[in-house]
Amino acid sequence: MIPGARVIVLPVAAAITCQPVYALVYMSVDQAQQLMFAGRTLTPMPLLLNAEQIAAIERDSGVKVYAGSLRAWKADDGYFFVDAVIGKHDLITYAVALGADGGVRQVEILEYREAYGGEVRNAHWRGQFVGRHHGDAVQSGRDIQNISGATLSCQHVTDGIRRLLATYAIAIAAR
Amino acid sequence: MQSPSQHAERTQRRARPLLGTLVEVRATATLHAAALHTAIDAAFAAVERVQRRMSFHDERSDVSRINAALAGEVLSVHAETYEVLSAARMLGDLCGGAFDIATAASLVQNQFLPKPQSRVAARPPAPGTTYRDLELLPDARVRWRRPGWIDLGGIAKGYAVDRAIDELRAHGVASAVVNAGGDLRCFGEPQPIHVRAPDELTAFFYLGTISDASIATSAGYYCGLQIDGARMDALVDPNRGTCIEWERSISVLAADCMTADALTKVVRLAPQAVLGMLQCLNAQAVIIDRHGLLACGREWLRPPPAAGSAAQVLKFTSGRTAAR
Repeated sequence: MIPGARVIVLPVAAAITCQPVYALVYMSVDQAQQLMFAGRTLTPMPLLLNAEQIAAIERDSGVKVYAGSLRAWKADDGYFFVDAVIGKHDLITYAVALGADGGVRQVEILEYREAYGGEVRNAHWRGQFVGRHHGDAVQSGRDIQNISGATLSCQHVTDGIRRLLATYAIAIAAR
Repeated sequence: MQSPSQHAERTQRRARPLLGTLVEVRATATLHAAALHTAIDAAFAAVERVQRRMSFHDERSDVSRINAALAGEVLSVHAETYEVLSAARMLGDLCGGAFDIATAASLVQNQFLPKPQSRVAARPPAPGTTYRDLELLPDARVRWRRPGWIDLGGIAKGYAVDRAIDELRAHGVASAVVNAGGDLRCFGEPQPIHVRAPDELTAFFYLGTISDASIATSAGYYCGLQIDGARMDALVDPNRGTCIEWERSISVLAADCMTADALTKVVRLAPQAVLGMLQCLNAQAVIIDRHGLLACGREWLRPPPAAGSAAQVLKFTSGRTAAR
């Protein structure tokens, strides 16, 4: 045995009971706007995409378009978008700031939710999170902080950003 | 953001998609709200710099330049890249070559890494090249003795966390946690640590608290340990990346996150070297499986009081016995 080393064996009873949902709100849309466009005015310009634009966005980005609309705002020096992506066990809402040149300036996660047992794909389950504000109580059970675990891929967020950039190019810049 | 007082202690928590995962920064300081956000911006910027310099995919990264370099060609790399390469070399030497950053070719072949971009693909590695074939020269320069491909995925995430922590300290943050997809480091207030149960995603274990330390966790197969006289060889389906039998969760704790990150690979690949490396690097390994939780090495983790049922006896490999 290594001198000075001690082996600690703890019973598995130290485990915490399961919880089906884990949810974190990092910031609200307002707070993200203040962070990314401090002091500037953001004008809502919600985008409605037609079939032709959707097809072009899918071709350009290689990512499927699920929502026919996009929450977008315009500032003097750029654009602000809010989008959401669904993974196998998670729903992630995020905000993207583009500069005037259409390049990504900043990305921030707004909300992160995990769920198991198929809830994530359930429209009713997703519906309860629409319009949530920072500070709203979220029914998620005990706050579990500081999870050290096998790496969770955020490829779907990266894909979402790529889709956003294509949406900008096709539905905004091309006008 | 709510309090008008400049001297109130405030906490801010933000996350961004970086390093292929979600990187979360939580910082507490008696700073103006804007100054705290600036500190967190700087932490994310440090992670982004590591990502740009050490990305396997980005053709402008030092890693791509190294992977496209000819044998004998001298390359200058950034000081941070050189620091990681030096650490990787030291770790590789310490465990007899089990930790080897020059295994990218087989990772690509087995589809754990995507095909590299064209300039790198055009200069394939020589068979049998190891990390020792990448010479580390003075002044942050490197040179291949024979051509190879490196991937820093097993160590750069922890390094990025360390650099983010440095920025937070430098900006006057009192207490913080940086968590890059499960590789985590903290300073200031002691932090409670949880890991997921290896085979039950909705169950979490509370391991205890750490102060001014790092933890990295690898769930999945664990090769070659003798437990209760039975050889625990997990069977891994490489296509699915999942275990067929009960998975083990392996966490490593160390002062810095780069060491913790790299050591999780060593614990998997070279269990015979683990005890020596833990001692040498002042680290701790924590393994969770159906027998319970086993910890060895320096006690970074302050465990919670035991829940009452009798502790179990586990045997370690190479004839050593751990009993309690």
